[in-house]
Amino acid sequence: MLVLRPVELTDLPQLQRLAQESLVGVTSLPDDTERLRERILDSCASFDKNVQQHGPENYFFVLEDLTTRRLAGCSEILATAGFGEPFYSLRNRHFTSASRELNIEHGVPALSLCHDLSGHTLLRGFHIDAALVRTPSSELLSRARLMFIAAHLPRFAEAVITEIVGFSDEEGRSPFWDALGKHFFDLPYTEAERLCGLESRTFLAELMPQYPIYVPMLPQTARDCIGRIHPDGQEAFDILEREGFETNSYIDLFDGGPTLYARLANIRTIAQSQNGTATPGSTIDARGRYLVSNDSLRNYRAIVADLDYTAGQPVVLSAEMCEALNVTDGSPIRVIAL
Amino acid sequence: MIVRPVQITDLPALLALVRQAGPGFTTLPASEDRLAHRVRWAQRTFAEQVERADADYLFVLEDDDQQVVGVSALTGAVGLREPWYNYRVGLTVSASPDLGIRRQIPTLFLNNEMTGQSEICSLFLRHDQRHGSNGRLLSLARLLFAAEFAHLFGEKLIAELRGSADEQGCSPFWDSLGRHFFKMDFNHADHLSGLGSKSFIAELMPRQPLYTCLLTEQAQAVIGKAHPNTEPALKILTAEGFTHKGYIDIFDAGPVIEAPLSKIRTVRDSQALSLVIGTPDDQAPVWLIHNRRLENCRITAAPARRVGNSLIVDRLTAKRLQLQPGNSVRAVPLLNQQQQAAAA
Repeated sequence: MLVLRPVELTDLPQLQRLAQESLVGVTSLPDDTERLRERILDSCASFDKNVQQHGPENYFFVLEDLTTRRLAGCSEILATAGFGEPFYSLRNRHFTSASRELNIEHGVPALSLCHDLSGHTLLRGFHIDAALVRTPSSELLSRARLMFIAAHLPRFAEAVITEIVGFSDEEGRSPFWDALGKHFFDLPYTEAERLCGLESRTFLAELMPQYPIYVPMLPQTARDCIGRIHPDGQEAFDILEREGFETNSYIDLFDGGPTLYARLANIRTIAQSQNGTATPGSTIDARGRYLVSNDSLRNYRAIVADLDYTAGQPVVLSAEMCEALNVTDGSPIRVIAL
Repeated sequence: MIVRPVQITDLPALLALVRQAGPGFTTLPASEDRLAHRVRWAQRTFAEQVERADADYLFVLEDDDQQVVGVSALTGAVGLREPWYNYRVGLTVSASPDLGIRRQIPTLFLNNEMTGQSEICSLFLRHDQRHGSNGRLLSLARLLFAAEFAHLFGEKLIAELRGSADEQGCSPFWDSLGRHFFKMDFNHADHLSGLGSKSFIAELMPRQPLYTCLLTEQAQAVIGKAHPNTEPALKILTAEGFTHKGYIDIFDAGPVIEAPLSKIRTVRDSQALSLVIGTPDDQAPVWLIHNRRLENCRITAAPARRVGNSLIVDRLTAKRLQLQPGNSVRAVPLLNQQQQAAAA
């Protein structure tokens, strides 16, 4: 059985393996031992912190196979995007060209650097074993974060965003980067993404274009990348889109990948998950598949479970499930249909 | 040859000239109505009936058989009636000391900085007359005129030189930039511009600065580059002290060259002299001579010799200028000292 839980320092070696496997552009996961260690410690402190209002906390989760103790994936929630330093995006808006005398009016799309998304809660760092892509496990890895938010609302903002990895080819080349970012950063795409995961992001502010970029002036290959998703990012996108997230006019400034946005109240898992209490028992009569979490903080756990569940009734869980969720009879739990 | 204000009777000759000039000559479109309008307007200008903002001094070059063989113009001021736009080629530095990154990105800034300056424009000389001093006379006559009547003009004179274009008249700069905002080809836009719609078109342009690195390589290559056809004009004006300070045309990126009026060689070195009819010897340098009149302005280029405050010219020159001995002229050697040395 796979269980989602907060990361611990002992996960470091396995996490480094995940970092190496993860896709370029999943910038929050640096392939660097020291940085990863800091990231883990930062996460542990965040779970332990008594939070009144969302701040710089980062909640880092791992997906662990309880039999083999192997980590199969990871995901994160940054409580506040752009806390301390701005969170940059490109906003794609129309610049209207109009002349009454010439009877001409048309819109020209332009990309402008902005901090509009600063202050929202950010989902990031989603990475899962290739073998588990498009299985209930990847739903668990992504959506258990939403269940965590549902259980700890004061720790998060009113709206949640996530940046989906944009298109790059098999050699790691991003046509969008090559047409735009490269001119200003003088770096290959992969190097820029690596720096983003590693360094302070202030270099972004130093190097990014401050004036609008008029989309028709970009080559076709780059225009095609605006809002285009890397094939490996498609599942992360699909899961959240089903949750009620929407694309809007914001894209990633490196690769042009889309940014998804949703208000908490419109997120299916948050709005529709139900509270209940755990009851050990038999799950032989399971009629549906659910995500189940324990609503804890430091001991947060979430699993996929086949249950015979009726709203308002105690949730009957097998002994194995109870152990995985670290719950006993009467413990509060949260349930949502897969 | 003399340069004089255009007259309405010049219209047929002017039309023939403009037709020879072809479609690239947008400030003088080959439309009889529009030409007639411009000629009448120029006549009112020389009669001092219009404000500086509307002033259009249109000159013709006429040979001794009263044939019009060339045209050139000088405006009172650009941008006082409707906005006058240029790009200034500036610089954006993208640098991160920590990462050792430093990029210099030429950036185009839309501006109206030439507002109120006077523009020399609309110069065309018939192909069979492109020899001797004709081109220089036709161009520099405007500068000498401005020297005499400096109060009618701005602090600077500017000239927008036609930018690079291919054989079909397409501008790589336009194709990479303007086209996206106007959805029309360069010739059409250029045509509208010649009809006086330039500021309307400019209003469609983005206000924000533009990074040149996002233009096509062909477009970047022609920024500030004059069309080869304008080389002779550019050479003459450069020798007069005109320089390119980074301003360019917003359509084809041709250079806008400029000079403070008082620093232009023809203006600075010109002097008021008293006309004497005599026989300048064969070695006498050619002078540019203005009869100091506005409405009856006549400017010619002729061998002359200065003695004290007098300028000795032959009888024909005086006749061309419609002057008598003892009349005052404004004159300057046609060539600057370097050119004179090179010619000697």
